Amino acid sequence: MVSGKRGFKQPTIILILFLLLLVSVILALGIGAVPISAAETIGILGGRLPLVGRLFSKDAVYIAPSHHTIVTKLRLPRVLLAVLVGSSLAVSGATFQGLFKNPMADPYIIGVSAGAALGGTTALALSLRLRFLGIGAVPLFAFFGALLTMGLVYNLARVGQRVPVMSLLLAGIAVGSVLQALVSLVTYFSESELQKIVFWLMGSLSGRSWDYFFLSLPYALASMLIIWMYARDLNAFLLGEEPAQHLGIDVERTKRHLLWAASMLTAVAVATSGLIGFVGLVVPHIVRLLFGPDHRILLPAAALSGGIFLVWVDTCARILLPPLELPVGLLTALIGGPFFLYLLRKRKHTLY
Amino acid sequence: MGKVHLEIEGISFSYGAEPILDQVSFTVPTGQLLGIIGPNGSGKSTLLRNISRTLKPHLGRVLLENRDITSMGSLEIARQMAVVPQENSYDFPFTVEEIVMMGRTPHLGRFQQEGPRDRKIVEEALTITNCAHLAHKAVTELSGGERQRVTIARALAQEPKILLLDEPTAHLDINHQTEILNIVRRLNRDLGLTVIMVLHDLNLASEYCDQLLLLKGGRIFKMGPPQEVITRESIAAVYGSRVLIRRHPLHGRPQITILSRNTAAAQRKREIRVHVVGGGGMAAALMGELVYAGYQVTAGVLNIGDSDWEQAKALGIPTVEAPPFSPLTEEAHAKNLRLIEQAQWVILAPIPFGEGNMKNLEALQVAAARGQRVIVIDGIPIHRRDYTGGRAFEEYQRLLAMGVAKVKEEAEIHQLLEEEVPPQ
Repeated sequence: MVSGKRGFKQPTIILILFLLLLVSVILALGIGAVPISAAETIGILGGRLPLVGRLFSKDAVYIAPSHHTIVTKLRLPRVLLAVLVGSSLAVSGATFQGLFKNPMADPYIIGVSAGAALGGTTALALSLRLRFLGIGAVPLFAFFGALLTMGLVYNLARVGQRVPVMSLLLAGIAVGSVLQALVSLVTYFSESELQKIVFWLMGSLSGRSWDYFFLSLPYALASMLIIWMYARDLNAFLLGEEPAQHLGIDVERTKRHLLWAASMLTAVAVATSGLIGFVGLVVPHIVRLLFGPDHRILLPAAALSGGIFLVWVDTCARILLPPLELPVGLLTALIGGPFFLYLLRKRKHTLY
Repeated sequence: MGKVHLEIEGISFSYGAEPILDQVSFTVPTGQLLGIIGPNGSGKSTLLRNISRTLKPHLGRVLLENRDITSMGSLEIARQMAVVPQENSYDFPFTVEEIVMMGRTPHLGRFQQEGPRDRKIVEEALTITNCAHLAHKAVTELSGGERQRVTIARALAQEPKILLLDEPTAHLDINHQTEILNIVRRLNRDLGLTVIMVLHDLNLASEYCDQLLLLKGGRIFKMGPPQEVITRESIAAVYGSRVLIRRHPLHGRPQITILSRNTAAAQRKREIRVHVVGGGGMAAALMGELVYAGYQVTAGVLNIGDSDWEQAKALGIPTVEAPPFSPLTEEAHAKNLRLIEQAQWVILAPIPFGEGNMKNLEALQVAAARGQRVIVIDGIPIHRRDYTGGRAFEEYQRLLAMGVAKVKEEAEIHQLLEEEVPPQ
């Protein structure tokens, strides 16, 4: 794939990945303490679709009413949130890697995650009961913690009209470590909430309602759309900022838009599900290894693959040690790490 | 040619308080191949980056076809001017074709797919830069020379009218250097591109450029065709090095050979003056060696047009000359004696003697009689270079009898001279 023409054309890749995602969602909906067949799941979902809903006749498959509730009220919001978070992290990671021309970059590289962590931890430690549009204090605090951090880092890194990538990285690391220390401090002084805090920091999708999904969706979609618009510019960024400028790209504006959009994706992901590591680092890599570095394929493919990946890892988190739920953030690293290493060994000649 | 393509009007630029460019003004006609040369830190790359609008001049402006480039959009500039940077970071495994296709960016709308015309332009760019066979290779797998060609192809895909190159031959071996510059020349001559390139190598700059701009400390020291810019005086003034300038035997452009070795030993040798009596090409190599070693060298009497005379001119050493194929005049002889008097050593090359240059032999006798140190190179027996019917033979024997040093080979001269070099 690296030498020679790429094996597949863009639409084929995207279509295949989309079908894989669809199958993953349907299968994942059936897996759990109460097993539900794929046919039933399709019947339940199809019957709720507008226009074509009538085609899924109620007589074709018997559907237990309890199954209906389990799928639509419990599992579907969680599975769709997994798709959304997985996609957001993967696209955010791919964007940061492109912007920084650095394969080690991930959604958390400029300290946005530490800001979210501090927000979430503070809300937990204070046991805030605040609610807004069906969303609790923890995700709200995490979300704004993330965006405030982004604003802080961006302004610290700015030199006149420009935001050099290097100072962005350094400012991000500095701000990140300070915030991380504050997270530890808050954790240290909140003995009663310790377990909650630790579990939240590990990342989980457990018990997330539809509200989480619907509130996150517009932010995530808008951010992804913005990043997708800059796909060709991101390719040029890989040549370096000056060459990108010589190709007629307004480098600083593009960088600003991409930074904010990618940080927004990170904020959405962290606010709804805590710190889920590895997806944003590894999924873009895997996609790049498979389909090449062109962001016009990389970005949509990463979005779909990130979704597929997190749906399955979260399913594993649900069922591996019943009735216990494992933190999904632990599993992403446990599963993703070895798989990534396997790919690297297989294609030793190109690291990224 | 003739129409002004690019006009640089009084550009000044500084990084912080340190001025890099100071009131630089020049014009570039359409279709010119301009080379920017100068020592490290003279502002070459900074000047190029001001022209490409990567940097904004603090004073002055750049006019592209009479329009101030600060009033133009970056897309508009990218369609007229392409830049080949010094280093290319190709870290991601794009294919060569994909990289070159990126050159089409300024011509494509945000969601517009590349069409057949874009593909054709990319194909042509690959062909003219000898990259067609690399099209499907990953850029990460290319050699330095191949990468540079791919970058030029990418610049060409922009369909520019002006091509800016920042030291396109840096880090390349001599073979790849000429390959890159031949491509650049082809783009200039065949496609009519106006080319401005920064070059480090003065000989390559002299060979390939129509016009050279020599920078010194952020100011234009000299601008003109290579013959006017690459001179011993300007190189000494700008680089502080002593050079030998000769016309290249094949293309006739001035070529430089560095003379001064700035070692301590060479510094000490500078205090010693050596006069060489030559002619007929017998002293050319010796004079070069002595100058290279650091000695102050003078020469005489040499006939104009003689190859020893050409060498002396190229070395820029004080020389007593006489018209071609004429006997030495009394005046030349007197001048020769004066130079000899000022020298610590006088060397006689194994030159043929005819009636015309017997005075040279006489001058050496005068020196020997005065007690000056004279070295005679006796590699070729005198009877084989005596064209005076025995007179030269006789005078030569008289000279030898005056207690001069006789050596067979030039190498021995260096040993003799070393004894005179002051200790550390």
